[in-house]
Amino acid sequence: MILGPDSIGLGRRVVLLCLVLLIAGCSSKQVIVEGNFPEPLLDPLPITMGVIYPPAFAQHEFFDEAKGRADSDWLVKTGEAQVAFWDILLGGLFQEVVHIDSWATAQAEGGRLDGVLIPSIAELQYTVPTHTNVKVYEIWMRYEFRLVDIAAIHQQEDGALSFNPDDRLAEWPITAYGKTPTAFLQSDEEAVNLAAVVALRDAGAHFITTFGRTPGVATWLDGLSPRQASGETVSGEASAATPKPTAGAAPGTGANEAREQDTPQDSASAPAASVAIDSASMPAPHSADAPATNDPADSVNAVAEQASSTVQGEPAGATPEAAGFNEQGGTR
Amino acid sequence: MSLPRLHRPSRLGFASHWSAVIFAALVLGGCVNATVDEMTYNEPAAGIGESSVVILGRRHAPDYDTEFDFIECIGDHIHSGDPSIEVINELAFINELYPWFEPRTAPMQPRAIDQLLQLPPVAQRFTEMKLEYMIWIDGNTVDTESTGSMSCGIGPGFAGCFGFGTWGTESEYEATIWDFTDKVEVGRVSAATSGQNYMPAVIVPIPIIAPVQGTACDSLGDQLLEYLSAHH
Repeated sequence: MILGPDSIGLGRRVVLLCLVLLIAGCSSKQVIVEGNFPEPLLDPLPITMGVIYPPAFAQHEFFDEAKGRADSDWLVKTGEAQVAFWDILLGGLFQEVVHIDSWATAQAEGGRLDGVLIPSIAELQYTVPTHTNVKVYEIWMRYEFRLVDIAAIHQQEDGALSFNPDDRLAEWPITAYGKTPTAFLQSDEEAVNLAAVVALRDAGAHFITTFGRTPGVATWLDGLSPRQASGETVSGEASAATPKPTAGAAPGTGANEAREQDTPQDSASAPAASVAIDSASMPAPHSADAPATNDPADSVNAVAEQASSTVQGEPAGATPEAAGFNEQGGTR
Repeated sequence: MSLPRLHRPSRLGFASHWSAVIFAALVLGGCVNATVDEMTYNEPAAGIGESSVVILGRRHAPDYDTEFDFIECIGDHIHSGDPSIEVINELAFINELYPWFEPRTAPMQPRAIDQLLQLPPVAQRFTEMKLEYMIWIDGNTVDTESTGSMSCGIGPGFAGCFGFGTWGTESEYEATIWDFTDKVEVGRVSAATSGQNYMPAVIVPIPIIAPVQGTACDSLGDQLLEYLSAHH
């Protein structure tokens, strides 16, 4: 059979289509995490909290290079979603939240702040079905939260903010896990985005239900109560009628409360003399600041823990080991 | 004169082939086995009146999530069976009560609701919803073993597949009914369904899908409707 010009043109198009499909299969995949996050349903604590989002947090992304021809490079940008989510969550948890993005703001607003919260992402791991042969997309994150007094915040020579780790009030980890099963007509990118959103929601739930029970935070909250009762805070919200901050914080009712009191993984190295907030690296957390498993800060939490102790524990897949997380999919 | 006659049997053969495939699809597509177990107490004889019901999926297991669309299917089934029953949308409920119904924090026992009600905003929201029953659904649908083979090819002016494939699908769900007023469990209903799917391909693949999940939805929905409605 002799091929005419039309047939040759069609053949070229088919070859081109195959090439495009082949290249598309090997190309990198990029996800900019986005979602709608709900406001937490609780009475806000009568606290004016400063919050510093370090650049490594606000612009957080992770990149995982393809390990084989069947694999794809993955670039997942979570920074914008992190800021959007924690803004809503902290705004619901505290009476007022003040963003501290410069030394000028720290000086101007510092007088009325009860404390300053500095979140960071210490670790992020993910799996997709092509890694594990399990039809689930997973994202696991470990945050490090640091609570410092405004007096501990300093300005470096380059203008960046830093704080003296010896002056911190509390430092504690928060783990978060999100998964989503494979679904018909759902792309890998959509599934990873959904898993990230679930992980963010889980982080918020974990934060709210453990905030008042974290030993360093509990001590700080206890110190705030008499101070607020005497009207020391500039915000002027404190009065004799102000409830104790821990009262409405977090009655955990769910499955994982009792087992989610993580201990820091590394308490060996000493913290540096001064920690730049812009830096992605973090000082090793003090083991004394780690949340204790049996240290409920108030009776509500104690009862809640008792109630939840009869139910199942944390999902086995919530730990990277159990879920077979890709060890090379770390933070960037 | 005889030429058209020669073509006629050929067209009939082609038509009868497709008729057979469609017939097979109709017959085989309905092959689903379902087993339903029910154990309920304190059935509301007069129905739930103006109160509402929320149906929630369990999503704390490491290897599966109860599908959102399955929960929606059961809610639609109950509401279409008795329009007087108000079924609260699952996603709206979870968002309105964030973070108290996340996989990490969702109550696993009815008595844990008392802990939630100690939070004034949560208690107020529940009162506004007039919630009478909370139904938890746990389970999922999975594809099981598959056999057969199929080859597809594409060339200039031609594309098609040839072969035959078959695979099984199994659903297993359990609904746990909590009485929100008394904070007690008042019933469990479970449905296990299975079916076989087929995909013959002669140029065009024709999937013959067994409605396994849909049957599970109908089975569970019927039982829950019977419990909640005064008209069933």
